[in-house]
Amino acid sequence: MTKKFIGKRVKRNEDPRLLTGQALFVDDVEIPGMLHAAFLRSDYAHARLLSIDVSAARQRPGVVAVFTAEDMGEDWQPGPPLVSPPPTAKDVIFHSRRQVPLVKDKVRHAGEAIAVVIAESRYIAEDAVEDILVELEPLEAVSDLEKSLQEGSTLVHDDLESNLAAHLIQKKGDYEAAREKADLVITRRIVTDRGAAAAMENRGIVAHWDEKSQHLTVWDTTQAPIPIRNGLAARLGLSANQVRVIAPFVGGGFGPKMMMFYPEEMLIPWASMKLSRPIKWIEDRRENFYATTQERGQNHDVELALSRDGHILGLKDVFLHDTGAYDPYGLTIPLNTQCHLMGPYDIENFTSEVSVVFTNKTLVTPVRGAGRPQGIFIIERLLDIAAKELGIDQVEIRKRNLIPPEAFPYEHKIIDQAFAPLVLDSGNYWPVMKKALDMIGYDQFVKEEQPRLRAEGKYVGIGITPFIESTGVGPYEGARVTVEASGKVFVATGVGTQGQGHFTTFAQIVAEQLGVAVSDVRIVTGDTTEFHWGTGTFASRGAVVAGNAIHASASIVRQKVLKLACKILETPEEELELECGLVRVADTPHKSISLGELALLANPLRGAVEPGTEPGLEATAYFGPQYGATAFGTHAMIIEIDPETMMIAIKRYITVEDCGTVLNPLILEGQIHGGVSMGIGNAYYEKLHFDENGQLLNASFADYLIPSATEMPRIEVGHVETTSPLNELGTKGVGEAGTIPVPALFSQAIENALYNRELEILETPLSPNRLFELLVNEEKSR
Amino acid sequence: MKIEGEYTFDGPREVVWVLVRDPEVLATCLPGTQSLRLVGENEYEGEINVRIGPIAGVFSGRLIVSDEAPPESCTLTGEGKGKPGFVKGSGNVQLFEQADNKTLMKYDGEVQIGGRLASVGQRMIDTVSKSMIGQGLGVLNEAIKARVLARAEAKEVEYTPPSETEFAAAVAKDMAGGLLSSKLFLWLALAVIAVILVVIVWLSVG
Repeated sequence: MTKKFIGKRVKRNEDPRLLTGQALFVDDVEIPGMLHAAFLRSDYAHARLLSIDVSAARQRPGVVAVFTAEDMGEDWQPGPPLVSPPPTAKDVIFHSRRQVPLVKDKVRHAGEAIAVVIAESRYIAEDAVEDILVELEPLEAVSDLEKSLQEGSTLVHDDLESNLAAHLIQKKGDYEAAREKADLVITRRIVTDRGAAAAMENRGIVAHWDEKSQHLTVWDTTQAPIPIRNGLAARLGLSANQVRVIAPFVGGGFGPKMMMFYPEEMLIPWASMKLSRPIKWIEDRRENFYATTQERGQNHDVELALSRDGHILGLKDVFLHDTGAYDPYGLTIPLNTQCHLMGPYDIENFTSEVSVVFTNKTLVTPVRGAGRPQGIFIIERLLDIAAKELGIDQVEIRKRNLIPPEAFPYEHKIIDQAFAPLVLDSGNYWPVMKKALDMIGYDQFVKEEQPRLRAEGKYVGIGITPFIESTGVGPYEGARVTVEASGKVFVATGVGTQGQGHFTTFAQIVAEQLGVAVSDVRIVTGDTTEFHWGTGTFASRGAVVAGNAIHASASIVRQKVLKLACKILETPEEELELECGLVRVADTPHKSISLGELALLANPLRGAVEPGTEPGLEATAYFGPQYGATAFGTHAMIIEIDPETMMIAIKRYITVEDCGTVLNPLILEGQIHGGVSMGIGNAYYEKLHFDENGQLLNASFADYLIPSATEMPRIEVGHVETTSPLNELGTKGVGEAGTIPVPALFSQAIENALYNRELEILETPLSPNRLFELLVNEEKSR
Repeated sequence: MKIEGEYTFDGPREVVWVLVRDPEVLATCLPGTQSLRLVGENEYEGEINVRIGPIAGVFSGRLIVSDEAPPESCTLTGEGKGKPGFVKGSGNVQLFEQADNKTLMKYDGEVQIGGRLASVGQRMIDTVSKSMIGQGLGVLNEAIKARVLARAEAKEVEYTPPSETEFAAAVAKDMAGGLLSSKLFLWLALAVIAVILVVIVWLSVG
């Protein structure tokens, strides 16, 4: 059946509000009598808290309260684990150490909160923070991953024997045997480093405990309001229905705003209850650099075994993963890395050993990509090196190793981030890669244009990088769809929204079932009063999991509509159609009834209804996938490097995505554009520089560079649809797809552009400076 | 962060040594020093006002002089903290006699910084610290010259150390110097001046 709404370039329902400043963000919340919070944070990355004197701060006019860990008494406890711990299997080590609301004994990273001041204004609160006298005994800090595991290293957590947070080995086939048979074994050390998510909106929270109604309302920039509500209720000794968490419009999530139970997220509601006053805290940018989670620090020692014809026989990877000072997010990121190390390739023999390491740095939790870019970076770098060594074209070596279409569902025989077997549900990889090659004109560029430009002395290079993205993981989401008497449709779902276009794509799904205009579907996301079952927006799962839950609810409502209309129009259901907000008889369109009238009839004020009848045209349904759907894509680009400044001009940028059924190409392309922008930052601009003492040296946008409009290329997006068999809509996620392959793509294109240099890029992020250094080193080693 | 360098004073080593070990003289060397007190045999405590780019504030701290071998060398260990962060470090100072009654000072050390000073000031701290050291030693040299002259002429010589404002202006000039070396910056500066002129003209006409 052809679709009327799904797959159409529908403009976004939410944009008029967003573009005219009518959308509510947390900082827009103003409540009479509202107080403001500011935090005292540690300058030291590692220090013992000797004493703290807040008496002067408490005396400052306008200060209402100052709290330290001591003042919290029994309420002081570490945050909850954010994901399930790994199964207690043989050879799995996992030490759970969760972040604390305020430092009690020891500071474990620079920026950790020591005390909070609540005052009449933020200005007063900030001044009072400076009144606090705190005595900290500086301790040696651990910043480097390898050093932190060395014998005798300072311990981040004194009760552990070492800084090892977790250890896990995953095996498939027999790598050692494969290595014996190999014609070529490539061994390299590859390093990936940290970046920030740098969302446009920092974190923020407003908590309002109403003593008289005994009700707590919290506006929070979270991606997962329902888990936050449940956790707050449990921690504060309230019933879940006494707590309402609202995640209004949020200016970018990207992972660090997941169900984090950040210290501030627990403290502000707690303080609001203590003081019976509404309290607001809005994170400033510098706090964001220190206190909001980050990602991507890993050191890999890898081996790739190949046959002479370029077939991969096996892959072995031993790596360290930096989790920062605590590890509330368990093994999600390193497991994602392991699941993407084999990329889209058919690899029979695989061994991966990860050691997760505590360091005196800001916590690490998923940031858009969440371990996947690291895995893809490794395998793609190794294939580029292999292609050069074997004298095989970089596209050809990939083509030879792609998982063939008939192999799906492809069982990888290792476990994924949910500790379930990793299965790639569906895919047809070569046509996607082929489309990217055609769009960028690969052959023509390599054979004609590049030689011509090189002859002119230009450093032009091409890169082409395929990748997979595991998306749409469980456990479940739900939704309630209601046809109102006005004929408009109201939908409530639990996931939060941070710019993904949910108000439009979800509306399209409903419109497809109920035949109403997309603009007549009103969506509410992220308000626990409207819908209180679900987990949240992360892991590229909104459109897949919540989308299919909405589809399921709308399908049930459609059945209810047809059943009732069949009676009223005295026509069999099969002959009815839902069009233009009406139910009408297909052959005689004037014989019809509007959805609004039906909704009224479904909710009569008088008379009797049949036993078992539910009132209204409403349904609630849930969707939980058997396992995550895996999307595929290929990015390609042509660059020119200025040999003087090492600045890179992107001449063409192509992405071809296969994320199953496309709900709205316009929104999909927007997601890709945002992802690519973040990927370009990850690849060539954004790196958090920590010194060996755990001090962050570039905590401002003057020093930490994010791509701006001038660094953004025009992106051409192609679509291929291989529907997922795991859900009715056939969708796969795409939220992180734009980001994942970019560092690998940059490295490939840079090496290709600097064809006359023996450059081998084994690290990310790069920068113009760093590329210059690498070239100087290359020249010295010649 | 590593700090190293050398400086030639226009005076004999004994004079330089005495002045380097005099807290009052040291205090004038780094204008912005609000106080420097001798609290132990070789231990000073004090407060200094520092401005590094957008970061300004008072640091309070202590300085310990050890491994003293007058008038040749000593080790300085110091730490300070204030609202903008903290500084901690140690270094060696060596004095070498030179011809013409001159003295060569060589210094090297390792400094740790933290807080806002590190996270926001990092980009400027290298230039600022080099400049502050250079300016400070320059001031010290003026004091030495004054003392040498006084000795030669056997009378009191008037010497006024520069004010904090003069000192800050000199440091700022050094920082701009780094930028000014780029041609682009010059053009930018000219462009900005031109725009300001246009605005002034426009405002006065309007």
